[in-house]
Amino acid sequence: MGYKPKLVCFSCKFGWAYLRDMNALGEDVEFLTPVECSGRLDALHLLKAFKERADGVLILACEEGHCHFQEGNFRTLKMLYLLRDVLEAHGIEKARVRIEFSLDPEGRKILGRIARMKESLSALGPLNRALL
Amino acid sequence: MGEKPKVAICWLGACGGCDEAIVDLNEGLLDVAEAVSIEFWPVAMDYKYDHLAAFGKGEIAVGLVSGHVRNSEHAEVAHLLRDRCKLVIALGACACFGGTPALANLVSREEILDAVYVKAPSVVNPDGRLPQVETAWEEEILRLPAFFDHVYALNQVIEVDYYLPGCPPPSELIRNGVRAVLTDDLPPKGSTLAPRKALCETCPRNKTKPMRLEIHGPIRRIHEVEADPEMCFLAEGILCMGPATRSGCGETCIRSNTPCRGCFGPVPGVSDPGSRFISSLAALLKVGTTGDPEAVMASLGDPVGYLYRFTHPVSTLGARRLSQATEETP
Repeated sequence: MGYKPKLVCFSCKFGWAYLRDMNALGEDVEFLTPVECSGRLDALHLLKAFKERADGVLILACEEGHCHFQEGNFRTLKMLYLLRDVLEAHGIEKARVRIEFSLDPEGRKILGRIARMKESLSALGPLNRALL
Repeated sequence: MGEKPKVAICWLGACGGCDEAIVDLNEGLLDVAEAVSIEFWPVAMDYKYDHLAAFGKGEIAVGLVSGHVRNSEHAEVAHLLRDRCKLVIALGACACFGGTPALANLVSREEILDAVYVKAPSVVNPDGRLPQVETAWEEEILRLPAFFDHVYALNQVIEVDYYLPGCPPPSELIRNGVRAVLTDDLPPKGSTLAPRKALCETCPRNKTKPMRLEIHGPIRRIHEVEADPEMCFLAEGILCMGPATRSGCGETCIRSNTPCRGCFGPVPGVSDPGSRFISSLAALLKVGTTGDPEAVMASLGDPVGYLYRFTHPVSTLGARRLSQATEETP
């Protein structure tokens, strides 16, 4: 009851909501950060998000074969496989990081994806920060 | 004798390897003893903490401190050294970054005590008795240091002036460090007394690194393969921390056909060598979009243990400062 998970969402500018004013998406997307490519994300960005009290991270990447920089989305996927082990060792469940591959120029799906992720974070409950 | 600068050498949570590296100066140690007066070195001679406490504030010119801080004794001695020494140099990977023992930060204090004092196969402890800070015994109170719930690097407990990394630091690096202090030829405070380049730049195998470095297929670990003694480890698909690690070690491991494990810590400007290495490894891995990246990543075995082997307490997720409150209620 009353638990509102903090979700940080990184979205690729080339595949998600490039026809839309991001600020108009509403207050539900408090920590939405557009990036030039999901491949621009460094493992450090995700670690810092969790250290700064995020409960989960959602990455909105381009569909397979549609990366503006050839394979930025795939590189991020590989990075996540490694990083998830690091997160899990610190008590951060794998389900707290999700990557979605799609194209959504008008940003119609963003609110839904964020809501869905927040729902599963609520089910997980607050992050156990004993080892952080 | 009084004019010679005084030196204190002390270990906290350490294995003694850093002190061994000082002994490895061999005849050079005689030159050091000629130039300075060693006033405190519990590993080598019979010194008690009272000897250290008897000095005045800042009376000792340099303190070479090895080891991490894990209990109240380490913290107390670290504070005492900070007070009595004008300069404090963190000696070795444990003092600089927490070192290998800091991987214990991935489990709780309770789990460690339970594993060591209750569940260990060689232990018979049906009552589950654990070490106590204070125990009454025949009208006396026996005391043990309090075991903290985290392993700290030295600079998370006291202010550190200079860093000499390595597991252990090469004797040459120690000699140069001591010389720099004696001749007052020191870089700005907070500097690491080692080269600024990444290990790859000084690695004798660098010339065998292909222009476009790629790792195909599963990542291999050194005990699983017979490595080519000349070839770049990463080019062979063997994990090597060289790109994310500071040079200055003399490439001892590389020359023994063993990949870098990162004991010199990150290159300047990088706070979290593990995450930096993850990002670069993700770029190097060519699994193809039809391949299974999860299986390739799983071939790494223990990524956390490998990537944060020496640096967990100074990493993004592991960093903490030892506050007075923690010291009182560990």
